[in-house]
Amino acid sequence: MFDSIKQAVIEMDDEKTKESVSIALKEKVDPVEILEKGLIAGMQEVADLFARKEYYVPEVLLCSEAFYAGFDKIKQLIKGSSRKPGAKIVFGVVEGDIHDIGKNIVKVMLEAAGYEVIDLGRDVPVLEFVKAVEREKPDILAISSLMTTTMTHMGEIILELEKRNMRNAVKVIIGGAPVNEEFAASVKADGYSPDGPSAVKLIEKIVSG
Amino acid sequence: MVCADHGAYLLNLTLKEVAQDGEKLAQVIQYCHELYRYDMVLVFSDPYVEAQAMGCPVELEPYPTLLGPAARHSYDRTPEIIHAAKILKMKLDVPVFVSVKGPFTLASFLAGIENYLKIILKRENEASRFMETAMQYQLQYLERLLSLGVNIMIGDPLASSSVISPQMFLKYAFKALQTLVDKTKTHGALVAIHICGDVRPISEYLDKLGADILSIEDIELRTETLKMGGVGTSTILNGDPNRIKSEVDTALENKNVILSTTCDVPPHTPPENIKTMLRIASEYGNIER
Repeated sequence: MFDSIKQAVIEMDDEKTKESVSIALKEKVDPVEILEKGLIAGMQEVADLFARKEYYVPEVLLCSEAFYAGFDKIKQLIKGSSRKPGAKIVFGVVEGDIHDIGKNIVKVMLEAAGYEVIDLGRDVPVLEFVKAVEREKPDILAISSLMTTTMTHMGEIILELEKRNMRNAVKVIIGGAPVNEEFAASVKADGYSPDGPSAVKLIEKIVSG
Repeated sequence: MVCADHGAYLLNLTLKEVAQDGEKLAQVIQYCHELYRYDMVLVFSDPYVEAQAMGCPVELEPYPTLLGPAARHSYDRTPEIIHAAKILKMKLDVPVFVSVKGPFTLASFLAGIENYLKIILKRENEASRFMETAMQYQLQYLERLLSLGVNIMIGDPLASSSVISPQMFLKYAFKALQTLVDKTKTHGALVAIHICGDVRPISEYLDKLGADILSIEDIELRTETLKMGGVGTSTILNGDPNRIKSEVDTALENKNVILSTTCDVPPHTPPENIKTMLRIASEYGNIER
Protein backbone atom coordinates (compact mmCIF):
# COMPACT_ATOMS: atom_id res chain seq x y z
CA MET A 1 0.00 0.00 0.00
CA PHE A 2 2.54 2.63 1.14
CA ASP A 3 5.00 1.21 -1.32
CA SER A 4 2.76 1.86 -4.30
CA ILE A 5 2.35 5.52 -3.24
CA LYS A 6 6.07 5.81 -2.72
CA GLN A 7 6.82 4.21 -6.09
CA ALA A 8 4.32 6.44 -7.89
CA VAL A 9 6.13 9.53 -6.54
CA ILE A 10 9.52 8.12 -7.53
CA GLU A 11 8.21 7.22 -10.98
CA MET A 12 7.00 10.84 -11.48
CA ASP A 13 3.44 9.60 -12.01
CA ASP A 14 0.95 12.11 -10.58
CA GLU A 15 -2.13 10.17 -11.71
CA LYS A 16 -0.92 6.96 -10.11
CA THR A 17 -0.01 8.85 -6.92
CA LYS A 18 -3.52 10.32 -6.63
CA GLU A 19 -5.05 6.93 -7.34
CA SER A 20 -2.92 5.13 -4.78
CA VAL A 21 -3.67 7.77 -2.14
CA SER A 22 -7.42 7.45 -2.88
CA ILE A 23 -7.28 3.68 -2.48
CA ALA A 24 -5.47 4.04 0.82
CA LEU A 25 -8.04 6.57 2.06
CA LYS A 26 -10.91 4.25 1.09
CA GLU A 27 -9.28 1.53 3.12
CA LYS A 28 -9.29 3.90 6.11
CA VAL A 29 -5.53 4.23 6.35
CA ASP A 30 -4.49 7.12 8.62
CA PRO A 31 -3.72 10.15 6.37
CA VAL A 32 -0.68 10.99 8.50
CA GLU A 33 0.70 7.53 7.70
CA ILE A 34 -0.11 7.99 4.01
CA LEU A 35 1.90 11.19 4.13
CA GLU A 36 4.84 9.88 6.11
CA LYS A 37 5.20 6.32 4.89
CA GLY A 38 4.03 6.94 1.31
CA LEU A 39 4.50 10.44 -0.04
CA ILE A 40 7.36 11.61 2.16
CA ALA A 41 9.15 8.28 1.93
CA GLY A 42 8.91 8.62 -1.85
CA MET A 43 10.26 12.16 -1.84
CA GLN A 44 13.12 11.15 0.45
CA GLU A 45 14.12 8.49 -2.03
CA VAL A 46 13.90 11.14 -4.78
CA ALA A 47 16.23 13.37 -2.75
CA ASP A 48 18.68 10.47 -2.50
CA LEU A 49 18.47 9.83 -6.25
CA PHE A 50 19.12 13.54 -6.83
CA ALA A 51 22.07 13.53 -4.42
CA ARG A 52 23.50 10.49 -6.24
CA LYS A 53 23.04 12.27 -9.59
CA GLU A 54 20.66 9.63 -10.86
CA TYR A 55 17.88 12.21 -10.93
CA TYR A 56 18.29 15.77 -12.16
CA VAL A 57 16.10 18.88 -11.93
CA PRO A 58 13.47 17.77 -14.51
CA GLU A 59 12.93 14.44 -12.75
CA VAL A 60 12.67 16.14 -9.33
CA LEU A 61 10.15 18.67 -10.70
CA LEU A 62 7.91 15.85 -11.93
CA CYS A 63 8.31 13.90 -8.68
CA SER A 64 7.37 17.05 -6.75
CA GLU A 65 4.27 17.39 -8.89
CA ALA A 66 3.32 13.82 -8.06
CA PHE A 67 4.05 14.44 -4.37
CA TYR A 68 1.81 17.54 -4.26
CA ALA A 69 -0.91 15.79 -6.29
CA GLY A 70 -1.10 13.16 -3.55
CA PHE A 71 -0.63 15.67 -0.74
CA ASP A 72 -3.58 17.80 -1.98
CA LYS A 73 -5.86 14.82 -1.40
CA ILE A 74 -4.97 14.50 2.26
CA LYS A 75 -3.88 17.90 3.51
CA GLN A 76 -7.34 18.89 4.78
CA LEU A 77 -7.53 15.61 6.69
CA ILE A 78 -4.16 16.14 8.31
CA LYS A 79 -4.88 19.64 9.68
CA GLY A 80 -5.21 19.48 13.44
CA SER A 81 -3.81 15.98 13.55
CA SER A 82 -1.07 14.90 15.87
CA ARG A 83 1.65 15.39 13.28
CA LYS A 84 4.30 17.69 14.69
CA PRO A 85 6.69 19.33 12.27
CA GLY A 86 10.41 19.59 12.97
CA ALA A 87 11.97 23.01 12.76
CA LYS A 88 10.15 25.94 11.19
CA ILE A 89 11.80 27.49 8.18
CA VAL A 90 11.03 30.80 6.46
CA PHE A 91 12.21 30.59 2.88
CA GLY A 92 12.37 33.02 -0.04
CA VAL A 93 14.22 34.27 -3.12
CA VAL A 94 15.70 37.79 -2.85
CA GLU A 95 14.33 40.90 -4.51
CA GLY A 96 14.97 41.29 -8.22
CA ASP A 97 15.33 37.56 -8.65
CA ILE A 98 12.49 35.47 -10.02
CA HIS A 99 14.37 32.18 -10.27
CA ASP A 100 12.50 29.92 -7.89
CA ILE A 101 12.88 26.42 -9.33
CA GLY A 102 15.80 25.72 -7.02
CA LYS A 103 13.95 27.14 -4.03
CA ASN A 104 10.90 25.00 -4.82
CA ILE A 105 13.00 21.85 -5.07
CA VAL A 106 14.73 22.56 -1.78
CA LYS A 107 11.34 23.32 -0.24
CA VAL A 108 9.77 20.00 -1.19
CA MET A 109 12.82 18.16 0.13
CA LEU A 110 12.63 20.09 3.42
CA GLU A 111 8.93 19.31 3.71
CA ALA A 112 9.63 15.68 2.96
CA ALA A 113 12.19 15.73 5.76
CA GLY A 114 9.44 16.83 8.13
CA TYR A 115 10.12 20.55 8.39
CA GLU A 116 7.49 23.25 8.24
CA VAL A 117 8.27 25.66 5.42
CA ILE A 118 6.79 29.15 5.21
CA ASP A 119 7.30 30.04 1.56
CA LEU A 120 7.69 33.77 0.87
CA GLY A 121 8.01 33.10 -2.87
CA ARG A 122 10.35 34.97 -5.16
CA ASP A 123 11.37 38.61 -5.68
CA VAL A 124 11.03 39.22 -1.93
CA PRO A 125 12.19 42.65 -0.61
CA VAL A 126 14.69 42.77 2.28
CA LEU A 127 12.10 44.08 4.73
CA GLU A 128 9.64 41.31 3.87
CA PHE A 129 12.19 38.74 5.00
CA VAL A 130 12.69 40.65 8.24
CA LYS A 131 8.94 41.02 8.87
CA ALA A 132 8.42 37.33 8.22
CA VAL A 133 11.06 36.47 10.82
CA GLU A 134 9.31 38.78 13.27
CA ARG A 135 5.90 37.28 12.53
CA GLU A 136 6.69 33.58 12.18
CA LYS A 137 9.56 33.27 14.66
CA PRO A 138 11.20 30.51 12.61
CA ASP A 139 14.21 28.46 13.66
CA ILE A 140 15.79 28.99 10.27
CA LEU A 141 15.70 31.72 7.64
CA ALA A 142 16.67 30.31 4.24
CA ILE A 143 17.55 32.75 1.45
CA SER A 144 18.11 31.94 -2.21
CA SER A 145 19.55 33.96 -5.09
CA LEU A 146 20.49 32.89 -8.58
CA MET A 147 22.02 36.06 -9.92
CA THR A 148 25.27 37.94 -9.44
CA THR A 149 23.18 41.12 -9.53
CA THR A 150 20.95 40.08 -6.61
CA MET A 151 23.19 38.01 -4.34
CA THR A 152 24.23 41.11 -2.36
CA HIS A 153 20.70 41.40 -0.94
CA MET A 154 21.48 38.38 1.25
CA GLY A 155 23.96 40.41 3.28
CA GLU A 156 21.49 43.30 3.49
CA ILE A 157 18.85 41.03 5.05
CA ILE A 158 21.30 39.83 7.68
CA LEU A 159 22.41 43.40 8.46
CA GLU A 160 18.80 44.45 8.85
CA LEU A 161 18.24 41.58 11.33
CA GLU A 162 21.31 42.73 13.26
CA LYS A 163 20.07 46.32 13.32
CA ARG A 164 16.82 45.22 14.89
CA ASN A 165 18.52 42.95 17.41
CA MET A 166 16.87 39.93 15.83
CA ARG A 167 19.97 38.24 14.47
CA ASN A 168 20.46 35.89 17.40
CA ALA A 169 16.87 34.70 17.31
CA VAL A 170 17.23 32.89 13.99
CA LYS A 171 19.82 30.91 12.05
CA VAL A 172 20.31 32.14 8.50
CA ILE A 173 21.30 29.82 5.65
CA ILE A 174 21.84 30.69 2.01
CA GLY A 175 22.02 28.92 -1.35
CA GLY A 176 22.01 29.51 -5.09
CA ALA A 177 24.33 29.28 -8.07
CA PRO A 178 26.53 32.38 -7.58
CA VAL A 179 27.11 31.94 -3.82
CA ASN A 180 29.29 29.56 -1.85
CA GLU A 181 30.69 28.80 1.59
CA GLU A 182 33.02 31.82 1.58
CA PHE A 183 30.28 34.18 0.50
CA ALA A 184 28.09 32.82 3.30
CA ALA A 185 30.86 33.54 5.79
CA SER A 186 31.41 37.04 4.40
CA VAL A 187 27.77 38.02 4.88
CA LYS A 188 27.75 36.32 8.31
CA ALA A 189 25.24 33.65 7.40
CA ASP A 190 25.22 30.53 9.57
CA GLY A 191 25.52 28.16 6.65
CA TYR A 192 25.46 27.48 2.95
CA SER A 193 24.22 24.52 0.98
CA PRO A 194 24.45 23.92 -2.74
CA ASP A 195 21.27 21.85 -3.14
CA GLY A 196 18.21 20.27 -1.51
CA PRO A 197 19.72 17.15 0.02
CA SER A 198 22.57 19.09 1.59
CA ALA A 199 20.14 21.76 2.84
CA VAL A 200 18.30 19.00 4.71
CA LYS A 201 21.58 17.83 6.28
CA LEU A 202 22.65 21.38 7.12
CA ILE A 203 19.37 22.10 8.88
CA GLU A 204 19.52 18.80 10.77
CA LYS A 205 22.95 19.84 12.00
CA ILE A 206 21.84 23.34 12.99
CA VAL A 207 18.66 22.16 14.71
CA SER A 208 20.41 19.45 16.69
CA GLY A 209 22.78 22.18 17.90
CA MET B 1 35.78 38.90 -18.46
CA VAL B 2 32.03 39.57 -18.37
CA CYS B 3 31.91 43.14 -17.21
CA ALA B 4 28.92 45.03 -18.63
CA ASP B 5 26.94 45.08 -15.36
CA HIS B 6 30.04 46.11 -13.42
CA GLY B 7 30.93 48.75 -16.04
CA ALA B 8 27.43 50.19 -15.84
CA TYR B 9 27.83 50.48 -12.08
CA LEU B 10 31.20 52.23 -12.42
CA LEU B 11 29.84 54.69 -14.98
CA ASN B 12 26.67 55.32 -13.02
CA LEU B 13 24.41 53.92 -15.74
CA THR B 14 21.45 51.65 -15.01
CA LEU B 15 21.50 48.08 -16.28
CA LYS B 16 18.39 48.96 -18.27
CA GLU B 17 20.16 51.78 -20.10
CA VAL B 18 22.99 49.46 -21.02
CA ALA B 19 20.72 46.55 -22.00
CA GLN B 20 18.73 48.56 -24.52
CA ASP B 21 21.32 50.86 -26.03
CA GLY B 22 24.16 49.42 -28.11
CA GLU B 23 26.24 52.54 -27.80
CA LYS B 24 26.10 52.51 -24.01
CA LEU B 25 26.78 48.77 -23.95
CA ALA B 26 29.90 49.35 -26.06
CA GLN B 27 30.85 52.28 -23.82
CA VAL B 28 30.80 50.25 -20.57
CA ILE B 29 32.63 47.32 -22.14
CA GLN B 30 35.29 49.63 -23.56
CA TYR B 31 35.60 51.43 -20.22
CA CYS B 32 36.21 48.16 -18.34
CA HIS B 33 38.66 47.02 -20.97
CA GLU B 34 40.66 50.24 -20.65
CA LEU B 35 40.55 50.10 -16.87
CA TYR B 36 41.68 46.48 -16.53
CA ARG B 37 43.40 45.74 -19.88
CA TYR B 38 42.26 42.14 -20.27
CA ASP B 39 42.77 40.24 -23.47
CA MET B 40 39.33 39.78 -24.97
CA VAL B 41 35.95 41.41 -24.56
CA LEU B 42 32.48 39.92 -24.56
CA VAL B 43 29.42 41.75 -25.81
CA PHE B 44 26.83 40.61 -23.31
CA SER B 45 24.17 42.57 -21.47
CA ASP B 46 21.87 39.83 -20.17
CA PRO B 47 20.72 36.35 -21.21
CA TYR B 48 17.32 37.38 -22.59
CA VAL B 49 18.11 39.29 -25.80
CA GLU B 50 17.01 36.55 -28.22
CA ALA B 51 14.12 35.36 -26.02
CA GLN B 52 12.74 38.88 -25.89
CA ALA B 53 13.14 39.33 -29.64
CA MET B 54 11.11 36.13 -30.02
CA GLY B 55 8.29 37.35 -27.81
CA CYS B 56 9.19 36.60 -24.19
CA PRO B 57 8.22 39.39 -21.77
CA VAL B 58 11.37 40.77 -20.14
CA GLU B 59 11.55 43.46 -17.47
CA LEU B 60 14.74 45.50 -17.77
CA GLU B 61 14.54 47.29 -14.40
CA PRO B 62 16.35 47.10 -12.04
CA TYR B 63 17.98 44.07 -13.67
CA PRO B 64 16.96 42.35 -16.91
CA THR B 65 14.59 39.59 -15.80
CA LEU B 66 12.63 37.02 -17.78
CA LEU B 67 8.98 37.25 -16.79
CA GLY B 68 7.48 34.35 -18.68
CA PRO B 69 7.25 32.25 -21.81
CA ALA B 70 6.90 33.70 -25.31
CA ALA B 71 3.71 35.63 -25.94
CA ARG B 72 2.85 37.97 -28.78
CA HIS B 73 4.81 41.13 -28.22
CA SER B 74 8.45 41.07 -29.07
CA TYR B 75 11.08 43.69 -28.45
CA ASP B 76 14.14 43.22 -30.56
CA ARG B 77 17.39 44.32 -28.95
CA THR B 78 19.60 42.33 -31.36
CA PRO B 79 20.31 45.49 -33.47
CA GLU B 80 21.73 47.10 -30.29
CA ILE B 81 23.96 44.11 -29.64
CA ILE B 82 25.16 44.25 -33.24
CA HIS B 83 25.75 47.99 -32.95
CA ALA B 84 27.83 47.48 -29.78
CA ALA B 85 29.81 44.69 -31.46
CA LYS B 86 30.59 46.92 -34.46
CA ILE B 87 31.80 49.79 -32.26
CA LEU B 88 34.03 47.53 -30.16
CA LYS B 89 35.39 45.74 -33.20
CA MET B 90 36.40 49.09 -34.64
CA LYS B 91 37.83 50.59 -31.44
CA LEU B 92 39.61 47.73 -29.69
CA ASP B 93 42.58 45.69 -30.70
CA VAL B 94 41.57 42.54 -28.80
CA PRO B 95 39.23 39.76 -29.96
CA VAL B 96 35.57 40.72 -29.64
CA PHE B 97 33.20 37.91 -28.68
CA VAL B 98 29.44 38.25 -28.83
CA SER B 99 27.22 36.17 -26.57
CA VAL B 100 24.41 34.05 -28.05
CA LYS B 101 22.20 31.65 -26.13
CA GLY B 102 22.51 27.94 -26.63
CA PRO B 103 19.35 26.61 -28.30
CA PHE B 104 18.43 24.44 -25.29
CA THR B 105 18.51 27.41 -22.91
CA LEU B 106 16.68 29.59 -25.43
CA ALA B 107 14.01 26.89 -25.92
CA SER B 108 13.59 26.81 -22.11
CA PHE B 109 13.06 30.59 -22.04
CA LEU B 110 10.49 30.36 -24.85
CA ALA B 111 8.51 27.57 -23.21
CA GLY B 112 8.96 28.84 -19.64
CA ILE B 113 11.91 27.24 -17.85
CA GLU B 114 10.07 25.03 -15.37
CA ASN B 115 7.56 23.95 -17.98
CA TYR B 116 10.30 23.10 -20.46
CA LEU B 117 12.26 21.03 -17.97
CA LYS B 118 9.12 18.97 -17.44
CA ILE B 119 8.16 18.53 -21.10
CA ILE B 120 11.60 17.29 -22.13
CA LEU B 121 10.73 14.18 -20.12
CA LYS B 122 7.00 13.94 -20.72
CA ARG B 123 6.21 15.46 -24.11
CA GLU B 124 9.17 14.94 -26.37
CA ASN B 125 7.59 16.13 -29.62
CA GLU B 126 6.62 19.42 -28.08
CA ALA B 127 10.08 19.79 -26.56
CA SER B 128 11.69 19.16 -29.94
CA ARG B 129 9.48 21.77 -31.59
CA PHE B 130 10.70 24.42 -29.15
CA MET B 131 14.28 23.34 -29.88
CA GLU B 132 13.63 23.67 -33.60
CA THR B 133 12.20 27.19 -33.23
CA ALA B 134 15.13 28.27 -31.05
CA MET B 135 17.60 26.70 -33.47
CA GLN B 136 16.21 28.44 -36.53
CA TYR B 137 16.35 31.81 -34.82
CA GLN B 138 19.91 31.27 -33.62
CA LEU B 139 21.15 30.21 -37.05
CA GLN B 140 19.93 33.49 -38.52
CA TYR B 141 21.23 35.55 -35.61
CA LEU B 142 24.59 33.80 -35.87
CA GLU B 143 24.72 34.61 -39.58
CA ARG B 144 24.19 38.32 -38.83
CA LEU B 145 26.90 38.29 -36.17
CA LEU B 146 29.45 36.34 -38.14
CA SER B 147 29.18 38.78 -41.04
CA LEU B 148 30.61 41.41 -38.65
CA GLY B 149 33.78 39.38 -38.22
CA VAL B 150 33.31 38.86 -34.48
CA ASN B 151 33.82 35.70 -32.43
CA ILE B 152 31.02 33.86 -30.69
CA MET B 153 30.40 32.74 -27.14
CA ILE B 154 27.48 30.35 -26.78
CA GLY B 155 26.00 30.43 -23.29
CA ASP B 156 23.93 27.37 -22.45
CA PRO B 157 23.60 27.35 -18.65
CA LEU B 158 20.42 25.28 -18.52
CA ALA B 159 22.18 22.46 -20.37
CA SER B 160 24.53 21.99 -17.39
CA SER B 161 24.50 18.82 -15.34
CA SER B 162 23.39 20.91 -12.39
CA VAL B 163 20.08 21.04 -14.23
CA ILE B 164 19.61 18.21 -16.75
CA SER B 165 21.01 14.71 -17.03
CA PRO B 166 23.79 13.86 -19.48
CA GLN B 167 21.19 11.81 -21.39
CA MET B 168 18.97 14.87 -21.83
CA PHE B 169 22.03 16.92 -22.77
CA LEU B 170 22.81 14.45 -25.53
CA LYS B 171 19.22 14.19 -26.64
CA TYR B 172 18.44 17.92 -26.87
CA ALA B 173 21.39 20.25 -26.39
CA PHE B 174 24.38 18.53 -27.99
CA LYS B 175 23.42 18.48 -31.65
CA ALA B 176 22.20 22.06 -31.58
CA LEU B 177 25.48 23.24 -30.02
CA GLN B 178 27.41 21.23 -32.59
CA THR B 179 25.57 22.97 -35.44
CA LEU B 180 26.33 26.42 -34.02
CA VAL B 181 29.98 25.55 -33.33
CA ASP B 182 30.47 24.17 -36.84
CA LYS B 183 28.82 27.14 -38.47
CA THR B 184 31.00 29.58 -36.52
CA LYS B 185 34.15 27.70 -37.40
CA THR B 186 33.38 27.61 -41.13
CA HIS B 187 33.37 31.40 -40.96
CA GLY B 188 36.86 31.31 -39.46
CA ALA B 189 35.70 32.84 -36.17
CA LEU B 190 36.56 31.59 -32.69
CA VAL B 191 33.83 29.90 -30.69
CA ALA B 192 33.59 29.59 -26.93
CA ILE B 193 30.99 27.69 -24.93
CA HIS B 194 29.93 28.91 -21.51
CA ILE B 195 28.08 26.57 -19.18
CA CYS B 196 27.93 27.37 -15.46
CA GLY B 197 27.42 24.70 -12.84
CA ASP B 198 28.48 21.07 -13.02
CA VAL B 199 29.78 19.88 -16.40
CA ARG B 200 31.80 16.91 -15.23
CA PRO B 201 29.32 14.30 -16.53
CA ILE B 202 29.25 15.92 -19.99
CA SER B 203 32.89 16.98 -20.35
CA GLU B 204 33.55 14.30 -22.93
CA TYR B 205 30.73 15.62 -25.14
CA LEU B 206 31.88 19.20 -24.66
CA ASP B 207 35.32 18.22 -25.94
CA LYS B 208 33.71 16.50 -28.91
CA LEU B 209 32.06 19.77 -29.95
CA GLY B 210 35.47 21.05 -30.97
CA ALA B 211 34.97 24.58 -29.65
CA ASP B 212 38.04 26.77 -29.14
CA ILE B 213 37.25 27.59 -25.52
CA LEU B 214 35.16 26.11 -22.70
CA SER B 215 34.16 28.64 -20.09
CA ILE B 216 33.32 26.50 -17.05
CA GLU B 217 33.34 26.74 -13.28
CA ASP B 218 35.41 23.64 -12.57
CA ILE B 219 38.77 24.82 -13.83
CA GLU B 220 40.49 21.65 -12.63
CA LEU B 221 38.37 19.41 -14.83
CA ARG B 222 40.51 17.60 -17.38
CA THR B 223 39.51 18.61 -20.88
CA GLU B 224 41.17 18.58 -24.27
CA THR B 225 39.67 21.99 -25.01
CA LEU B 226 41.23 25.21 -23.73
CA LYS B 227 39.37 26.29 -20.59
CA MET B 228 38.42 29.74 -19.37
CA GLY B 229 37.53 30.76 -15.80
CA GLY B 230 39.13 30.26 -12.41
CA VAL B 231 37.98 33.04 -10.09
CA GLY B 232 34.51 32.67 -8.58
CA THR B 233 31.96 35.46 -8.71
CA SER B 234 31.69 35.71 -4.93
CA THR B 235 35.49 35.60 -4.62
CA ILE B 236 35.81 38.64 -6.86
CA LEU B 237 33.00 40.42 -5.02
CA ASN B 238 34.59 39.77 -1.59
CA GLY B 239 38.07 40.55 -2.75
CA ASP B 240 40.00 38.61 -0.11
CA PRO B 241 43.51 38.63 -1.69
CA ASN B 242 44.41 35.23 -0.23
CA ARG B 243 41.32 33.64 -1.67
CA ILE B 244 41.86 35.31 -5.05
CA LYS B 245 45.48 34.15 -5.04
CA SER B 246 44.58 30.58 -4.26
CA GLU B 247 41.99 30.48 -7.06
CA VAL B 248 44.34 32.13 -9.57
CA ASP B 249 47.08 29.69 -8.58
CA THR B 250 44.81 26.68 -8.97
CA ALA B 251 43.70 27.91 -12.40
CA LEU B 252 47.14 28.72 -13.69
CA GLU B 253 48.73 25.50 -12.46
CA ASN B 254 46.86 24.14 -15.42
CA LYS B 255 48.52 24.88 -18.74
CA ASN B 256 45.47 25.21 -20.94
CA VAL B 257 43.59 27.93 -19.08
CA ILE B 258 42.57 31.50 -19.88
CA LEU B 259 42.15 33.21 -16.53
CA SER B 260 38.79 34.90 -16.04
CA THR B 261 35.95 35.18 -13.57
CA THR B 262 33.67 32.16 -13.85
CA CYS B 263 30.61 34.25 -14.70
CA ASP B 264 29.50 37.92 -14.68
CA VAL B 265 31.44 40.22 -12.38
CA PRO B 266 28.83 41.33 -9.80
CA PRO B 267 28.01 45.02 -10.45
CA HIS B 268 29.17 46.36 -7.06
CA THR B 269 32.56 44.66 -7.15
CA PRO B 270 35.27 47.12 -6.03
CA PRO B 271 37.68 47.65 -8.99
CA GLU B 272 40.56 46.98 -6.60
CA ASN B 273 39.49 43.35 -6.42
CA ILE B 274 39.78 42.87 -10.17
CA LYS B 275 43.12 44.65 -10.18
CA THR B 276 44.28 42.31 -7.41
CA MET B 277 43.31 39.33 -9.54
CA LEU B 278 45.19 40.73 -12.56
CA ARG B 279 48.24 41.65 -10.47
CA ILE B 280 48.46 38.14 -9.04
CA ALA B 281 48.06 36.68 -12.51
CA SER B 282 50.76 38.98 -13.93
CA GLU B 283 53.21 37.50 -11.44
CA TYR B 284 53.10 34.40 -13.62
CA GLY B 285 55.19 36.44 -16.02
CA ASN B 286 53.65 35.79 -19.37
CA ILE B 287 51.30 38.74 -19.36
CA GLU B 288 52.44 42.15 -20.48
CA ARG B 289 50.85 45.06 -18.69
